[in-house]
Amino acid sequence: MQVNVRHKGSITILDIEGKIIGAEALALKAIIDQQIQTVSNEAEQDEKLNLILNLERVQMMDSSGLGVLVAAYTTIRRNDGRVVLLNLGGNIRSLIVMAKLMTIFDCYNTEAEAIGHFL
Amino acid sequence: MGERTEQAITLSLPSSMQHVYLLTAVVTEILKETNFDEDTQERINLAAIEAGTNAIRNGNRENPGEQITFQLIFTENELTVNTLEESEALKHKETETAQVIMLSLPSSMQHVYLLDVVVTEILKETDFTEETQEQINLAAIEAGTNAIKHGNKEDPRKRATIQFILDEDKLTIVTEDEGDGFTRQEVADPLDPENLLKSSGRGLFLMEACMDSVTYEANGTIIKMVKYKVELEAQ
Repeated sequence: MQVNVRHKGSITILDIEGKIIGAEALALKAIIDQQIQTVSNEAEQDEKLNLILNLERVQMMDSSGLGVLVAAYTTIRRNDGRVVLLNLGGNIRSLIVMAKLMTIFDCYNTEAEAIGHFL
Repeated sequence: MGERTEQAITLSLPSSMQHVYLLTAVVTEILKETNFDEDTQERINLAAIEAGTNAIRNGNRENPGEQITFQLIFTENELTVNTLEESEALKHKETETAQVIMLSLPSSMQHVYLLDVVVTEILKETDFTEETQEQINLAAIEAGTNAIKHGNKEDPRKRATIQFILDEDKLTIVTEDEGDGFTRQEVADPLDPENLLKSSGRGLFLMEACMDSVTYEANGTIIKMVKYKVELEAQ
């Protein structure tokens, strides 16, 4: 799995590629936690993390991966930030539907729409 | 700590040339964890294929009814491929014609990708649809993760063993761990609204959703999952 971190204004975008399974899920969690930490260290302003997880190039995700998405959602929400999912492939969408998590995550098909969520 | 970082992976295959590609796939992945440069990795892989081919051709004389077992022991800068004479007891095999592929791993989450590589390669050779292959792949990873993480508590001295039993009409996946076991009924329902925001606890649910049957034996330390090649007719 590879993760590219981009910033657009106050929005952080993670472009994730590969399979989010096993130890790779833990690696993704570490990257998300680092982003949460970076924002909370910028203490002079009341910064909060606005995060887009771009899953377009994710071929597969297991329950560990799902757990990382849920943990990101709960931690970021607790800090008044928001997280949205972008470009869910068919199998990732079915997984999220199966786990009844569609009602929790805001999902978008284009980056412009996902960015619009935070405006 | 002074501990050696030596890891041992065991792969058991039907003794037929048809299955050497599985050894190649596993060796390729293991080599990525070492410090060998790319050229050396390629040469080691070629040598491993030769060793596998030789063991099958000269040792068991290409008899798919016999198993051949490879033990791959590696550190950051060393890989040893042993061919084991004795075969693991294939106690889950039900028919003579079934083909069994077994992978045995030290219990580290780092090795889940090896299970993914093996199951992906096995499924490519089957006639399951792409969608069904994805479901089986997910179930296998969940079962392996369950054995490594919840069964063996990621203790690298304990082994997680995964058997793939290919029959004409079905694929059976049997995982075994060395943990204390669990009772299925006591595991919380991840779809219960109060559990939806929990970051774990979905593995068994996904296995059951993806496979035709999942049974728990030996206090949950053995999990047997079956996918039939033809969808079961609704009763």
